Amino acid sequence: MNKSVQLKRLLFSMESLVDLGQEVSSSKELAKKMKAALYMVTGIFSVPTAAVFVYDPQKKCFLHLVDKGLRGKSKKEIRLTVVARHIKRLKMNDPHDMHALAKTMFYRQNQELFAKLQTKIFIPLWIKGNLVGAITLGKKLGNAVYRSEDRDILRIIAHQTAMTLYNARLFLELTKKVSENKRLYTTMQKIYHDTIQAFAAAIDAKDDYTKDHSSRVANYSVAIARELGWKPLALEGMHVAGLLHDIGKIIVDREIINKGEKLTTPEECEIKKHPQISYDILSKVKFPWKDIEYFVRHHHERVDGKGYPDALGSSELSEGVKILALADAFDAMTTDRPYRRKLTLEEAYYEILRCSGTQFDPHIIHTFFMVLKKELQGNVKDPLILPSLNSGQPLPDPVLFDQIPEHPVAS
Amino acid sequence: MNNFSISSRSAQDVAVITPRGYINDMGAIRLEKTSEQFLGRGIRKLVVNFADVQFINTIGISIFTGIVQKTREYDSLLCFTNLKKIHCDIFDMVGLIKHVKVFSNEEEAITFLNGRG
Repeated sequence: MNKSVQLKRLLFSMESLVDLGQEVSSSKELAKKMKAALYMVTGIFSVPTAAVFVYDPQKKCFLHLVDKGLRGKSKKEIRLTVVARHIKRLKMNDPHDMHALAKTMFYRQNQELFAKLQTKIFIPLWIKGNLVGAITLGKKLGNAVYRSEDRDILRIIAHQTAMTLYNARLFLELTKKVSENKRLYTTMQKIYHDTIQAFAAAIDAKDDYTKDHSSRVANYSVAIARELGWKPLALEGMHVAGLLHDIGKIIVDREIINKGEKLTTPEECEIKKHPQISYDILSKVKFPWKDIEYFVRHHHERVDGKGYPDALGSSELSEGVKILALADAFDAMTTDRPYRRKLTLEEAYYEILRCSGTQFDPHIIHTFFMVLKKELQGNVKDPLILPSLNSGQPLPDPVLFDQIPEHPVAS
Repeated sequence: MNNFSISSRSAQDVAVITPRGYINDMGAIRLEKTSEQFLGRGIRKLVVNFADVQFINTIGISIFTGIVQKTREYDSLLCFTNLKKIHCDIFDMVGLIKHVKVFSNEEEAITFLNGRG
């Protein structure tokens, strides 16, 4: 071969290797880019039949990834049986002539497939001590021989291909781990929520009259916050705050909680400690939601500054606190207590209006009644208030809420 | 893929395939499939007209290697026409040219093929 032709061939090979490098490092799906890469390789050498295999360490075999020119048979079933120690005897990333392998067990085990692929060259692909795959190349068009320069190029191709398969394997393992972590996270999240629910049930069990109180308060709070446009994570936090707002009652004497008559001053002092205790308990927990401990601490505060434990005014109370305060009081109004019967929805409506601007924030009241009205009209996809109310509760005409001003205040 | 298109026609026992644009990615594999379809239908004389081909890379060479291989399996005749010098040189370098008949235009190729049984 004269020097001019040699130079042309060298330039052609270099250009082809650059193309190949770009192809294998592209972001395409592995099989797609390997198919294109295989066509490039077979184009460089004018080979009609070739294949790329990936090594499966579990199954200890090479699995068909892509091929060119192979007919028939479901390609997913195509595999080369391999004994790792046999392969290890072959020089890594080196093109091996099939006739030199003819006496090996590896050849004999896979003779039929090698024949179908008209295999002339077998290249085991290794990287960082890991067997990752193999390339088989058939005879060249017109049965031309593989020259020494061809083998040099094949070594470079083998290295690039091995790197691609190795990266793909790493990516697959990483994807599996991410998927497993997501599954674990979902399980943990469920356990977390179940635990919180269990706590809420334990709190409510202490009070004979307030079974499921925490759960209802959580639902009412979320209904209001949702109407106000809170984001999903914040709604989740609001729900948890509703469930745990009375956790401090766990250390209040059961007899005080269930007392059917007016509390003495010391008893009243005792029960008024529960928001502070709730805060003390929850502030030690690293929740993924913001401000839960403050919501529970201040759920007995009033917008006129006459609440407890800190007697904060409206401007110092967050929206979450105002929501929780209204939801808690609404549930107290609409359930039987040892010292009074429950109010109807209509009675509760007037009572809340009466306390607008003093105990409750007018804007939160307005929002709450808007949601209630929508639920009464059947206009809420996932209603939270009506399904939580005790059954047998007479429902008012939604028209009742038509008169609510944007900022209701006590008359 | 966006820069590649293909048209084909057949008359009696000759099929003419006309690729256009860039033969440099897997979209051009249609060339191989079209050739196989003609061979499968019993047409044993194929002409590929390169007049509108701008670029061929190794994927393209591989595709033509496949076509050459198929025509050999079917004991058929394959002609290339209107080849630009650069494409002719590449086919020569990779050893493809000796397996096809090269003509300067389609008419010459068809005349040649019609003269063959």
